[in-house]
Amino acid sequence: MLTCVWCGRSFAPAITVTMIWQWRPLPQPALCATCHDRLTPISPQHCPQCGRQQTTVEVCRDCRRWHDNLRNRAVYRYDAGMKAYMQQYKFQGDYRLRLGLQEALRLALEQVDYDILVPIPIDERTWQTRGFNQVTGWLTGQPFQQALAVTATHKDRPQSAKTRQERLLTPQPFELVAGASDLLANRRVLLLDDVYTTGRTLRHAAQQIYLGGAKAVTSLTLAR
Amino acid sequence: MTDFSELFGRRSPVPLPGAPEMVTSKAVTAIGQRWQCQRCRQWIAATDRLPNGDWYCRTCLQLGRLTSRDRLYTIPEPNRFARLVMGGLTWHGRLSARQMQAAQAVQKHALAGQRQLLWAVTGAGKTEIVYPALADALARGWRVAWVSPRIDVCLELAPRLQRDFGGVEQCVLYGGQPVPYHYCQLTICTTHQLLRFDQAFDWIIVDEVDAFPLATSPMLQVAIDRAQKTQGSCLYLTATPGERLQREIRQGKLAVTYLPLRYHGYLLPPLQLKISWRWRQQLGRGRLPAGLQRQLRLWWTARRPFLVFVPHVADLPVVMAVLMKAGLSGGTTVHAADPERQAKVQAFRAGNYRFLLTTTILERGVTFPKVAVAILGADDPVFSTAALVQIAGRVGRLATDSGGQVLAYCHSNARTVQRARNMITRLNRQGRRQGGRPC
Ligand SMILES: [Zn+2]
Ligand SMILES: [Zn+2]
Ligand SMILES: [Zn+2]
Repeated sequence: MLTCVWCGRSFAPAITVTMIWQWRPLPQPALCATCHDRLTPISPQHCPQCGRQQTTVEVCRDCRRWHDNLRNRAVYRYDAGMKAYMQQYKFQGDYRLRLGLQEALRLALEQVDYDILVPIPIDERTWQTRGFNQVTGWLTGQPFQQALAVTATHKDRPQSAKTRQERLLTPQPFELVAGASDLLANRRVLLLDDVYTTGRTLRHAAQQIYLGGAKAVTSLTLAR
Repeated sequence: MTDFSELFGRRSPVPLPGAPEMVTSKAVTAIGQRWQCQRCRQWIAATDRLPNGDWYCRTCLQLGRLTSRDRLYTIPEPNRFARLVMGGLTWHGRLSARQMQAAQAVQKHALAGQRQLLWAVTGAGKTEIVYPALADALARGWRVAWVSPRIDVCLELAPRLQRDFGGVEQCVLYGGQPVPYHYCQLTICTTHQLLRFDQAFDWIIVDEVDAFPLATSPMLQVAIDRAQKTQGSCLYLTATPGERLQREIRQGKLAVTYLPLRYHGYLLPPLQLKISWRWRQQLGRGRLPAGLQRQLRLWWTARRPFLVFVPHVADLPVVMAVLMKAGLSGGTTVHAADPERQAKVQAFRAGNYRFLLTTTILERGVTFPKVAVAILGADDPVFSTAALVQIAGRVGRLATDSGGQVLAYCHSNARTVQRARNMITRLNRQGRRQGGRPC
């Protein structure tokens, strides 16, 4: 029996025939079936730019307003279940909950072609109070480069406390760390973030990465 | 003058600068090789370390995260309350002679600072029996907490105490409460919330002491002890004390007041056993035990409100589908994580639903007039002996109720069911001696 990292109940992992045929150690799921079902994966029917779940594969209205060619993929919908997860993981600071989505992120990263993985950074104050970067918490040994930092002068309310209009007007919060250009020059970079809401944060980050000389920038978020 | 009362008898991670007598200590401390949370006194797992080097407690996370970087602040409880007339009691009801006798015993033990249990059958009116002792305690300037492991019990209790103790300032605390904490003489809260208090209360009333999760949680037991002043005491209320409390009574460690009869003088309804062989397999094929379906139709046709208890949340939609197919409409399902739980219970009480399908969450603390009860799978381990006695106790609570039945459908005659039936028989034997009548 395993203990579900989210609800704390013990459960027996389901074993399927395909898992047995794979001839490798069976993965130990961190979530029970009930908690697993609280999250909704995004199907192939999504916006080709922001990755939002839709009934078609056309560029969505929000994306058409940006007039750019950002390309984001998202793993799960940002629905009530995902909000509850984020509430406990990010806002209540339950670091152990990172285990719940590590496997899903690992599989998603395997689907993407990139040279360098760059997680969205958190500012110094958040590092002190929350104690962890919620994005890198999901990584399980995949190499990444902390090429971006939050500028020291950037004192700001959390994105989640703002209206859409305010978010869109947020000034550039990121800068390249020393030596970033050496890493980024002519590489294909994948940005990694927790939630795509307006796309403002990712576009700011991409802008800086391009300044560092990257050849292409795409992004992956856990939720949209 | 700045108001520092927010820290009186509290254990808070937020200091009030300039507060006199403020005591502070580390929130998470190293003891040998291990780390312990000083709010809930639980050990922190070796893996629960943050990348910035801090340790954090998962056990009491719901009250706001504590890390090894935090401190806790307290001001020793000063009992700074205005004098109350009649202990703030505004209740005009009257206790029966039997209830009065119990009330006086409770008051005597409380005054003597004794740990005590009020063992009263479901529907004995135990809340009102505590009123004289509570009024007395409040008149003496005691700080009192009325707590329960069940949030439903707190929510049903709070408006009653607000009405019946109109002269006392009160606050209600539970996870997600809409009103912030403020210092006052009478606190109504879940046992979890006691983790935020430090030697605050002269008297703690623990309602439904045998209910989940208190009965199985050493953390919550400790929370009650630490929220109580060293010279304070507590009163446990229940209809179904567990083995531990019963042992303490036998050993003379716990004073007990006994009330085997409901306030209206009627006996408890018996738990009727209905053997339904392989009911679970039948349900898998979309069928209910024939007897159960017939019975539910009878109740439904007679417009008697009824509760159907099932072992698991997953059983709810299955049973509901069968009833819908059978044409029994107008009911709904309720379970612990249901966001509309409160509203549905209220609506059923108001007669807007004809029946509720539910799990053990509605086993206690709720009163529905004229209700009948069926338990599908009463032999499932989720239904403890105490739970079954409590569920049976939903029936016949009002003096005007009659003819309510409690039917337990099981695959076999499990020991829990047998024990529950025995407990009811024993209580009714005692009740009959005191002049109780069958309902
Ligand atoms: Zn779970
Ligand atoms: Zn889009
Ligand atoms: Zn704790």
